[in-house]
Order: sequence, then structure tokens, then C-alpha cells
Amino acid sequence: MSDPIGLALAILGLPLAAAVLAALLSWTKLAKAAHVPLVVACAAAAVLGVMLLLKVGEGPDYRFVSTPVTWFSAGHLTVNFTVTVDPLSSVMLAMIAFVSTWIAIFSAGYMHGDGGYGRYFAVMSLFVFSMCGLVLANNFLLLVAFWEGVGLCSYLLVGYYFEKPSAASAARKAFLVTRIGDTGFLLGIFLLWKMGNWNTDLTALFDYLKDHPPDQAELTTACLLLFCGAVGKSAQFPLYVWLPDAMEGPTPVSALIHAATMVTAGVYLLARCAPLFVMSPDAQAVVAWAGGVTALLAAFLALAQTDLKRVLAYSTVSQLGYMFLALGTGGAVSPAFAVTAAMFHLFTHAFFKALLFLSAGSVMHAMGGVIDVRKFGGLRRLMPVTHLTFLCGAAALAGVPLLSGFWSKDLILESLTGAGASGRPYATGYFVLAVVAFLTAFLTAFYTFRAYFLTFWGPERVPEEAGHHAHESPAVMTIPLVVLAAGALFAGAVAEPFTHWFSNFLGHTPSLHQAEPAEHHFDWTTAGVGTALVVAGIGLAFLWYRKGTEGEPAGLKPAFALSRNKLYVDEVYEAAVVRPAGVLAFLSKALDGFLDALARLIAAVPRFVGDLARPVQNGLVQFYALSMALGLAVFLTFVVFRVAR
Amino acid sequence: MNPFSLNPTQLAGGQIALAVLLAVVGFAALLPRPVGRRVGVGVASLVAAAAVLGVFLYTTFGSPSPDVLGTVLFYLFSAGALGFGAVLVTQRNPARGAIAFAFVVLSTCGLFLLLAAPFLMAATVIIYAGAIVVTFLFVLMLSHAGGPSDENDRSREPLFGSLAGFAFTGLVLFTLYLTRVEATAGESAHRLPVPVVTADEREKLADALTRIDAAAAGLDGDLTTNRFERLQKFEALRDAVSAVVGASPDEGGVRDGSVRARLEKAAATPGVPAVLYREDEQARGVLRRAATVRELNWATYKAVNDNLSGAKPDGAAAKAELRRLRDEVLLLAGAADLPARNVGNLGYLLYTDHLLAVELAGTLLLVATVGAVAIAHRRRGSDGPTATPKPPTPHHPA
Amino acid sequence: MITLWHYLAVSAALFGIGLVGFLTRRNLITMFLCAEMMLQAVAVNFVAFARHHGNLHGQVFVLFILAVAACEAGVALALILMLYRRGKTLDASAWQTLRELGVPPAVDTDPLPVETRGEEPRLADAGVRPEPAGEEAARV
Repeated sequence: MSDPIGLALAILGLPLAAAVLAALLSWTKLAKAAHVPLVVACAAAAVLGVMLLLKVGEGPDYRFVSTPVTWFSAGHLTVNFTVTVDPLSSVMLAMIAFVSTWIAIFSAGYMHGDGGYGRYFAVMSLFVFSMCGLVLANNFLLLVAFWEGVGLCSYLLVGYYFEKPSAASAARKAFLVTRIGDTGFLLGIFLLWKMGNWNTDLTALFDYLKDHPPDQAELTTACLLLFCGAVGKSAQFPLYVWLPDAMEGPTPVSALIHAATMVTAGVYLLARCAPLFVMSPDAQAVVAWAGGVTALLAAFLALAQTDLKRVLAYSTVSQLGYMFLALGTGGAVSPAFAVTAAMFHLFTHAFFKALLFLSAGSVMHAMGGVIDVRKFGGLRRLMPVTHLTFLCGAAALAGVPLLSGFWSKDLILESLTGAGASGRPYATGYFVLAVVAFLTAFLTAFYTFRAYFLTFWGPERVPEEAGHHAHESPAVMTIPLVVLAAGALFAGAVAEPFTHWFSNFLGHTPSLHQAEPAEHHFDWTTAGVGTALVVAGIGLAFLWYRKGTEGEPAGLKPAFALSRNKLYVDEVYEAAVVRPAGVLAFLSKALDGFLDALARLIAAVPRFVGDLARPVQNGLVQFYALSMALGLAVFLTFVVFRVAR
Repeated sequence: MNPFSLNPTQLAGGQIALAVLLAVVGFAALLPRPVGRRVGVGVASLVAAAAVLGVFLYTTFGSPSPDVLGTVLFYLFSAGALGFGAVLVTQRNPARGAIAFAFVVLSTCGLFLLLAAPFLMAATVIIYAGAIVVTFLFVLMLSHAGGPSDENDRSREPLFGSLAGFAFTGLVLFTLYLTRVEATAGESAHRLPVPVVTADEREKLADALTRIDAAAAGLDGDLTTNRFERLQKFEALRDAVSAVVGASPDEGGVRDGSVRARLEKAAATPGVPAVLYREDEQARGVLRRAATVRELNWATYKAVNDNLSGAKPDGAAAKAELRRLRDEVLLLAGAADLPARNVGNLGYLLYTDHLLAVELAGTLLLVATVGAVAIAHRRRGSDGPTATPKPPTPHHPA
Repeated sequence: MITLWHYLAVSAALFGIGLVGFLTRRNLITMFLCAEMMLQAVAVNFVAFARHHGNLHGQVFVLFILAVAACEAGVALALILMLYRRGKTLDASAWQTLRELGVPPAVDTDPLPVETRGEEPRLADAGVRPEPAGEEAARV
């Protein structure tokens, strides 16, 4: 098991086996134990992931590619089943496995007694499998397969309560909106396939393109098309609308899929394709601007949401925009630095956002399914553990100094200021984006603590639906919270700022490797400004919401109303996209009806002829025998008289 | 005899058409139906059709026959088979139909006997006796006890059904007529295998037998008188036998009789097709028998001649010689076209040439037994009074 | 002299009669008997040819026909029994559900004749003295 590829395939295989086992269990009387395969598989995968991490870190070889096995081939197109292990994918794998383990344990408590217990865990296992496959895939089409696999699992889990119309439509929306991005993604893949000497293997493709620099315009097109896919999957502007609705799924699903893992697939994709993006500054600028706009927009939208999970969902969108901001600076600073910043934020974000979601789930569990922050408050004495862990997560998300969120956010801000000062093309734009990022940091701190204060401070209020549930969650749910809280507090500090372990490790990734290693120093100015903004945001939130009720000044009401109504984006989409599509659909239906009528007319002719001949088939066997005998007699008469002549 | 100056083909075709027409009319009139059944017309038509068929057979294939008994029996059994067949088809009561079928089987068994198939006759009687008894049981078990019913008192398309059935018969009869014409035209007459002993030869041998009897009767009384006349009788007898079986070498060179000439020498004679040559077991047996008769014929003549010409003629010894010859001649005359040991030879053939078919037939029987048991097995729950599905009567379509 | 052709003609006629019965009669058992009769006709044909050719192969074939007829009898009677159990009738025309959709079922138009039967003779009830009737009364 010391072979990295073997380890990776084992990590891939464990959740698949768990999925099959859970599906089988759900048919038997052991359905109550359906969580066991997932927990065991994830825990084992986490251990293997750490082993893999250590193995890859040993060096000197940092990239392992499995022997390609042809999946299918047609003409020029050869699609191989091949996986690759390098620092980038091993970090992702370990993170996914670790977070999944705790979320799986949490789920066992959260979903206890639910009707679809076996189904839930089977699909969760399938999701973990697909996500691991996505991370490991070394072939674009294989990656697409897993990419769609996670999309499918997302669909199934968002629509887990499929009896609820809102859940069903949210699942459909999530699937269809991401599909828009996937279209661009596939087109980009085939453009790259054409450009890259008909290769679909990532490593071979990148190596070829490195030696044969392609046409700039073509490359930019390809990069932007790939980015389309990332925009859809990672819920960036303008395709972010599905993510808030996806909160219809069970809360652990939101934590795992829509905060920690699946939505980061776009970030991971761009990180993996960094060698391409480095060559195209235009595409980088687009990525950065898309990230910036999304970060600010989503932060604004999160301001006034009253649904705790929606606040977190918009926050996720905003944080993903942050990661894209960092990725967009890759050409201006150094690709390794940009990717490190993005991946580091991804890494820390996975911890504290999963933690926040699980805490919200714990609150929801206790409140009997109610998640509207206006309906409850002052829960800090009722649910002390949840309160503390939520506070840890909120502080980390806000970027309180020394917590993990602080370090990763600081790295991104540094990359932006660095890019603004680099003098490369679009430097002014990067400077503007840096301002946007600071503004977003302030908003983030504000809305996070708004939600925190509204939920846990002020007089204790509990909705009727809670009933006798209103108490701290059981240990099976609080222990994952505590573990993840520890991660949210210390993961950042341990991994990067003092040891630079994370950046060094990721810097070894062959596709990011550069002649001169990226140098960066802790920038006191950036950190200081950032900290000041965070403190201001938290202070403002304390001022307005410490009583546990909404207390923002009257002058800001219109802005908050705008935020609460999501800037009317859904309405704009409705008018601009859905209505015209409806008209088009009506026209198509009319044309289709005409064609159908034509086809029916053509079909009516043989039907009429058939009606004439049908009475012969009267079901009387003797009539059939008689027809046969008479026909044979006629035929034989002909034969006999021909012979006689 | 030929009032419309038709050619033979038209005549035969007309006879066939008339027979078929009459049969169709007869069956259409006789088949059971609720209204319009004409028994008298039907029976008359059928009798007329049978008569026309008989006339057709006689004029087309018939020939003056010495075998009166065989002819009569043939027509008797044929009429029985066809008549009882008609009864089976037209009889409303299925129980009476089953009895009529029994008579059909008996009649065909008679035809089997006429065709030298005694074992088949016995087997058919035994097997069909069982089958008919079982069918009879079924009829008694399943038939509605009283009153008219759909299945017994209605027919499906009586006119067209009769037409379809007898169209086949007419076509076969016409084809038979055509082949008969072809077979009797010139050379091609010899295409069919020849009998081992023809009727002509049989008559000659019968004649020889009467002579032997006469000669034996002439041995009574004083043997020393009328020697010459007696010897002349013996010579005539010898020649009569020789005409059929040939003469012995001692008689002045080998001379073949008609049997051998027909069966063996034909191939050597130029101009006669080789298909005449018969080399099956049966022909070889007859040839051996003919050779035996030939040798014995000469030996008997010599022995009787010596005996009667001697000083002390022994009438008893001569009679014994003559009796031996008579037995052999009788055997030769009675040599049939088919092997005499019908059962033994059938068995031999079954287990040599048709072994695979026998095995397959056995397997078929086994499978059919299993199938019949499986089909008729009364499954639990499928046949109770509540589970019985509603009969799909034509009046209430399902 | 009776020739091969005589036998062939008779067997053809027998076959025709059997075919007519099979095509027209609606009683399953009668149909089955007619089929057996057609087999008999074929058997006569075979035996006649055996006689004509001077060998026994034709007779062997008839033996096989007997075997097949026995199989047929077993299976056919089992099937008839099953059909009777399902439909309580032996009418072959009762089973016409195989017809094309939309085709009306074949219906027998003519009513069956009503069989008029005289009063069946009955014994007098036990234990009751029979009433003398007609001139018997005078004699008593």
C-alpha cells in the first residue's frame, strides 16, 4: 500500500463500496445501520489520505500518473481511465475525506429516524466517491464524468425531501443552472482537445501545450469556456442563483456539498488548469473580475437574509468569489502563489463553513426545523456547545486575527495588492479588486456576526415547532462540531503562516513549479487594514443586533430591503430568460403540433387500409384454418394444372 | 359411353368434378346447423358422389380382374371407411361420432390386411381401441347431457369448409389420373418395380398344380398298364413348370424361365432399361426358390420316369416325389411381393435402418406424457369455483 | 385387379372428409377425431406404397404415425380438458379473444332448436298407494 496510486485508488474505491453496501442495506432490516459503511469508508479514506499526503511530501518525485487504461476511443478521441496524484490533489483528497468523516458522523444523528435513511447514506457515499474521482481524474472526459456524478448526487440530495415541491424545484434548478455552465465546459474541453494534439489526458495535454504555445485568442477562448463550467459548479455570478435554493436539502448535505466540497470543484478545476490560465492574462482578468463581482454581490445579498442557512449560502458564494479573485491574479503575481492562496482559503473555508452549516443544522434540529432567525433568539444558554462552535466558525469566517480564516484571507488580499502593484496588464483593475475585497471582508464580518447575535444573544425565544426538542443536540452531533471548531481555529495557523508548509507543499506541484520560488512576506499593512475592517464590521453588528432583534437604523432600510429581495435578480432572470423561453416553447409546440398532425395524417392512410382488412382477424381458429386450406387449395390447383399442361 | 365426345382427360376431370360437387353439396346439406339441414338431399348426394367415384376408379384404373374376392373386399372396406367417416363428420352426437370413428378404424384395418400389413392392422386396432375408449370417456364426461348446444348443433362455414376439404381430394384424384396416364404410356410403364411373380405366372403355376394333381391321381391302380400315356402326362407337367422356372442343364443346356428372365436377365438385354432389375431380398428369395423348383422338377421327372419304366413300379414312392414337387411349386406360386414374416421383418427394419427415428419417437412419447400430465394437472387455487374465469362466450366479448 | 391407385384414391377421399370435419365441426372432440381420421388416410397411403414398392419402409412410417398419434391424443385431450375447465364448453369458437382489437365478436344468429321432449316416465312416490287411472279404475 505504499504506492501512491494504489493509495489513491483505495481512497476512490472505499466510498464506492460504501455506496453499494448502503444501497443494499437499505433494502434489508439493517437500514438503520446504513450510516456505518459511509463513516467507516470515510474514516479509512481520511487515514489513507494522510498517508498519501506524507508519501507525496517525501519527494523528490511529486507527480504520479497511473497507467492509462482505455475507457473508450473513437477516431482521434481516446479517453483513458487514468488518475494522477500530486500535492494539489492529495491535499484535496485528505481534506474531503476528513471533512466527510465528521459530516457523516453528524448526519447519523441529524437524519436519525428519517424514512430515507439508507437512500441518504447511499447517495452521500456515491457523492464522496465522485468527488474523490473528480479530484484524482487525469483525463478531461473522465473528469467530466465525475463532475456530472457530483452534480447528480447534488441533485438527488437537494431533492432529498422530494415530496416538498420547493425541494423538487430547487433540485431541478440546481441541476439545470449548472448544466448551462457544463455546456461551456464541454466545448472548452473539445477546443483544448483540438489544440493539444488530440490529447484528453491532462498531464499530456499540458505538457504538449507548454512545448507548443497555442494561439493566444484560441487559448483565451478555451480558458473562458472552462471557466464557464467553474462558474456553474461554483455558483459564481451570474449562475450563483441555484446555491441559495439548494439549501432545501438536509443541512449536512449543505455542509458537505454546498460549502466544503462540490462547489469548490470549480476552484479546483482552475487550479488544476493553472498552466493554461497563466498563459492567458485576459482570461485571468475575467476570472478575477467575476470573482470580485460575485464576492461583493453575494456579501451584500447576505446582509439582510433572515434564513440562517441562506446567510451561510450567500456567504459561501461570496467566499468562492474570493477564491476566484485569488486565482485571477495568477499571471500578475506567480501562479504558485495565486493557487496557494486560493487553495489555502478553500482548505480553511471547508473547515469553518462546514462547521457553520453543521451548527446551523444543530440549531435547526433543536428548533424543530425552523431556521428563520427572527423566530428564535438567545440560544446561547440553551445550546452552549453549538453556541461556542458557531462562534468559532463565525469568527474564522469573519477573519478575526490568528484564526484560520484570517490567514487565508490575508493571503488572498496580499495576492491582490501584489497584483495591483505588479505593473503587469490590468494592474489598475487588480487594485480596484483589492478595494472590493477589503469591502467584502468588512461586509462578511458584519453579516456573519449579525446572524450570530440574532441567533444566540438577547432574551431566549423558542418557536412552537421546537416542542420538547429545544435542547442541546446529542453527542454524535456535537463531537463533530467540536472537532471542526478546532480545525476552524487552528488549521490555518498550523498549516501556513509560520511554517509555510502548505505553500511549500503545493509549490511542489509540477504544473505550478517555477524556476524562482514565490516569495512573500507577511504584509503588516494589509493585515492591519483587514483587521480594522473586521473589527468595524463586528462592532457594527454588536451595536445593532446585540439584543437579538433587528436594530439597523431606519436610513438603511431600503438597502436592507434590496438585499432581502436578492436585488431582484430572480425576477430579472424571470423576465429576461424564462419568459422569452416560454414564448419560444409555445411557438415550438405549435409547430410541433402542426408536424404531428401531418404525421398523423400520413399514419391514417395505413390505418384506414388496416381497418378494411381487420375483420379477417376475427379470432376464430377454424376460420384461420379454413383460410389456410382454401388458400392452399387455390395454390395447389395452380400447380396441378401447370403440371398437367 | 362417351356421349359428349370428350377426350379422356376431360372425361376423367368431369367425373372428378362431379364427384367433388356432389360431395360438397352432400356435406353442406348434412353438416349440423339449427335451420336448413336437409338429410335426404345430403345422403342422396353423398351416395351419388360415392357412385361417381366408383365409376371413375373403375373406368380409369380398373381392369378385368381374376381376384374377385380381393376386389369385393377392397370396395367393401373402402365404402365402410368413407361412409363411417361421413357419419363421424355429420353426426351431431359426438358419442355416435366416436363409434363411427371406431368403424372407420376397423375399415382401414381391413385395407391394411389387403395390403399385406397384418401387424399394422393389429397395432392399429389395439392402439385405437384404447384411444377411442378414452375419447368416449371424455365425451361422456364433458358433453352436455341434454339439449342442443353450440358445439354440436352448429358448424363453422359448412359450404366453404366442404369446398376446401374436397378441393384437395379432387386435386389428388386428378393428379392420380395424370400419373396413371403417364405410367401406362409406352416405355415408362416399366418405371415402376415389377412384381416378383406376375399374375400370368401364377396362372401357369396353378395350371401346373392341377396337372400334378391329375398325374398323381393317375398313379392309382395297375401301374404296368398305360405307361406311355402316363409318361406323357409327366412330360407335359414338367414342361409346364419349366415354362416358369426354366430348364436344368441335364435337359440340354440351361434355359431360364420367365421369373428369372424378368428379374435378372433384363439388365443384360440391350434396349431394356436397367430399372427393371430387382435386387432386393424378396427378389433374391424368389429366384432361389425358382432354382429349387427347377432342379426338383427335373429330378422328380427322372425319378418318376425311372420308377414307372422299371420292372416293379412303386406307386407310393412316385406319389411322394410328386407331393414334394407340388409343395415347392405351391410355395413359388404363393411367393408374395412382401416378406412373409411381417412382424419379424418390421422389427428388423426398425432396429437397423430406423433406429434413430425409434429413439426419437420414444422421446416424443415421454415428452408428450409429461406434457399431458403438466397440462391437465389441477393446480391449487386455479380451478376452484371462485377462481374459475368467466367463460369467454361469443355473446359477451371479454 | 386392385392397384395402388385405388388405394390412393380412397385415402384421398378419406383425407378430404377428415379435413371437412376438422374445418367445420365446432366440437373439440369431434375435431380431434377428424384429425385422427386424416392420419388414418395418410397411413393407408403409406401402406399402399409399401406394398407397391415391395418393402416395409412404408409400414415402418405408419408405426411412427401411430406413435405420433398417441402423443397427439394425450396432449390434445389434456388441452381439451383444460379448455373445458376454463370455459365449461367444448366449443372451439368460444375461444376467440385472439381477434384484432375493434373487431366485433362472431355471434351465432340463428337460435338453437328447442328440443321438445315428452314427460319422462316417473315412478310413483314410495309409500303412497297409486291412484288407478282410466279403465283400471273400473277393474278395481
